[in-house]
Amino acid sequence: MTETTKPPAPDAVPTPPALRGLIPLPAAAARALLLAGGIATAASAFLAWTWTAEFPGDLTINGYPGGLQWLTFTAGVLTALFALASYGIRGLGWLLPARNNAPLVLTALGGFAVTWFTVIAISAELGGVVNLEPGGWIAAIASLLPLLGAFALPQEKTGTDGTKAALKAYIAKPDRIPAPQATSGWVQRAVITAVTIIGLGVFTYGIDTEYGELFVGYLFVVTFAMWALHTAGLLDRFSQLIAANRSFTLAMGFAAAIAFPFTQTDDHYANIGVNILIFGTVALGLNIVVGLAGLLDLGYVAFLGVGAYTAALVSGSEFSTISGVHLPFWASALAGAAASLVFGVLIGAPTLRLRGDYLAIVTLGFGEIFRIAVNNMDGDSGPDVTNGPNGIANIPDLNLLGFNFGQAHDIGGFTLGRFANYYLLMVLIMAIVVLVYTRAADSRIGRSWIAIREDETAATAMGINGFRVKLVAFALGAALAGLAGTVSAHVTYSVVPTPYQFAGSTPPNSAFLLAAVVLGGMGTVAGPLLGAALLYLLPEKLVFLQDKSLLAFGIALILLMRFRPEGIIANRRRQLEFHETGQLDVPKQTTLTDEPAVTKAGA
Amino acid sequence: MNTLPQQLANGLLLGSMYGLIAIGYTMVYGIVQLINFAHGEIFMTGAFGALTVYFYILPDGTSMALAVPLMLLGGAIVAILIAVGAERFAYRPLRGAPRLAPLITAIGLSLALQEVVRNFYPGADRARAFPGLDTTHDIGSVTIKDADIFLILAAVLCMAALALFVRRSRTGRAMQATAQDPDTAQLMGIDTNRIIVIAFAIGGFFAAVAAVAYGLKYGNVDYRMGFLMGLKAFTAAVLGGIGNIYGAMLGGVVLGIAETLASAYIDEIPGMSQLGGQSWANVWAFCLLILVLLFRPQGLLGERVADRA
Repeated sequence: MTETTKPPAPDAVPTPPALRGLIPLPAAAARALLLAGGIATAASAFLAWTWTAEFPGDLTINGYPGGLQWLTFTAGVLTALFALASYGIRGLGWLLPARNNAPLVLTALGGFAVTWFTVIAISAELGGVVNLEPGGWIAAIASLLPLLGAFALPQEKTGTDGTKAALKAYIAKPDRIPAPQATSGWVQRAVITAVTIIGLGVFTYGIDTEYGELFVGYLFVVTFAMWALHTAGLLDRFSQLIAANRSFTLAMGFAAAIAFPFTQTDDHYANIGVNILIFGTVALGLNIVVGLAGLLDLGYVAFLGVGAYTAALVSGSEFSTISGVHLPFWASALAGAAASLVFGVLIGAPTLRLRGDYLAIVTLGFGEIFRIAVNNMDGDSGPDVTNGPNGIANIPDLNLLGFNFGQAHDIGGFTLGRFANYYLLMVLIMAIVVLVYTRAADSRIGRSWIAIREDETAATAMGINGFRVKLVAFALGAALAGLAGTVSAHVTYSVVPTPYQFAGSTPPNSAFLLAAVVLGGMGTVAGPLLGAALLYLLPEKLVFLQDKSLLAFGIALILLMRFRPEGIIANRRRQLEFHETGQLDVPKQTTLTDEPAVTKAGA
Repeated sequence: MNTLPQQLANGLLLGSMYGLIAIGYTMVYGIVQLINFAHGEIFMTGAFGALTVYFYILPDGTSMALAVPLMLLGGAIVAILIAVGAERFAYRPLRGAPRLAPLITAIGLSLALQEVVRNFYPGADRARAFPGLDTTHDIGSVTIKDADIFLILAAVLCMAALALFVRRSRTGRAMQATAQDPDTAQLMGIDTNRIIVIAFAIGGFFAAVAAVAYGLKYGNVDYRMGFLMGLKAFTAAVLGGIGNIYGAMLGGVVLGIAETLASAYIDEIPGMSQLGGQSWANVWAFCLLILVLLFRPQGLLGERVADRA
């Protein structure tokens, strides 16, 4: 998936007729098979797949899809749409700007994966294939058809270097994608709005999945659909749109974030939402330290803990050792951020003068000290500050300007529960963090961070005070974590030492946070948020994974560093840094109207 | 009764264990400038390798005199295999990548090794009993166990052997050359990849020795034992001057004694009466690390490049 020097490839349109697919079929038949198969897959979702409602989602009703069948339906419709677009039907041309086959292959694969996963899950959970109704068999066969059609499509580069290369060519993104037609600002904004609404819908669906099987199917469909959109070049186009309408997109993003609790009827899902936001905000703070300044902080969760404990101590809880003190929220938020800032400077000042490796180990040590210290400060084996392992319980709910966060409120016909209230507060805090992050990253100091990250010696030679800018990054990251910690203390009612450790099976802990930043993409805004959402939802939805999630993390970190160190959402500069191959592969500067779009996955 | 000699002996013993583990950090760092965070977990797997030999391979009732060398062998094989495998498959592909990449890989490796042991080794999610050598001897006012004698003998022997190896053998000198300048060493015909593998293997062996000593001394092992021990062994390596093998041992001993004395006597200092005892020992160890980084970042023995290996 890397962009290396390639000779300018000939335009993929129109495909020369001499090419052949992996499966020998005439191209016209293959295309027809794809279209018919896609429609058949979507239609098979309306049949009964099994006889009992024991399998979650109730797949027993003829004529109305349930649970996983909706996902099969979606994948079938997507396949059919891409197949129609490949016929060049008017009005669908925008789906396939490069007229390439990869999106067809990928959507067909997505439909196949989700359908066969469902069929196999039914057979495995209910004990044998006898539990499949004829509808289930039909769905399995129908989802196979587009796959056959897809691999029968003529493909360049087939058969030249073996099957593996041929399979790779089927899902490769074309080298050049025709530039979009110039559109007016209103159309662009309409597109962004539509995408935001769809995105909110997709995201909400993922959070609201009620059982593990549905979430796995959801991940299958979303992954393959996004991959298909990427290979079709639509993601690149969309990121260009975003680049052209940056502030509008940001506003839409926050509007979508605010809209989320209004789509929820169950406060449990708002609870998941608020936890994702806390986790994401902290990950974004860590991203300043790791992604921008290149400092590995392994005890970051301790700063969250400092903020949470500070807020708990001044919250007026009867378990607080300085009981009787009840600061308003703005004061306790500032106090939490300030306390974290002080600790950040205390830890950073001696270590940031040295090579970065020392910082990693000292922050790891600090994280442990924090956990041990709050565990010990129970008045028995240490000073009486934190109540030791029992923590500080009964933290009162916030009350801002007469708005009590603990009670449900009716706003415009929608009921917002306790967690939805905190969710909205967290959106506000995240907006602050995103603002701080983007403003800092684009400022003089942000550029110094990146310079330090890439070559400290050269940066120092250019007159950057390495120690000072690193200390600012470290302290700023710590303060943002402290700020998020103050809210998390109120959301969870109590603070206890256990979540603030280096590695554990539930977030937040330092290893989870680091994994979220690395997985999502270091140095980007969207990356850590996506990483945090994924890493929070995976163990939450897949209960059977909880025990093995840390193992999976460890292995994922190793594999990521080996194969895609820039993460899911790649920062351009970061990507080049990780795939250094010399001066030749520096991409051409592209503007919006440039012919070949060489941008990879946006800014 | 004066407890000081006993506390000093305890500190020396603990410190020798830190020193043995620290050798692994310092040798690898000296050659490839990489902090192998997973080294603590290599120590842990060494302990479980030895445990496997004792419980699952040797027949019941084997005398400890025969069992201990075999356990050492089993632990060493496991630890060396994992150390060398980590180098080959996780670190080597990242040589030349930005500094952050191998560090993150090391974190991932450390998590993965812990979780593999916790999930797949029978009974490893709790502390597992390890055969102890608990016969005690009184020397003056100091009481030590057989396990302590094993530890001190092993530490002295291993250090002497390593010093000889690095100074006298051809490979040892090639190691020093690689540590000083890998590129030039390669031009002189030294296979630096082989040297790096040997450095990882020696580190793994020393960690396994420390792991067997740990098991014999404390009587149980668990999947998390490598985390704190590794962290403190790294502290010891920094304390002594990272990259310097004598420094690693010295740093280990200094750290061990400082930690023991702090947890034994700090509560006698007015105003700190609640900060003594074992529960605060780790805190003092890390405070020492921060103080060292503040005042003597090159460590006690500095960076004597000629001895670095």
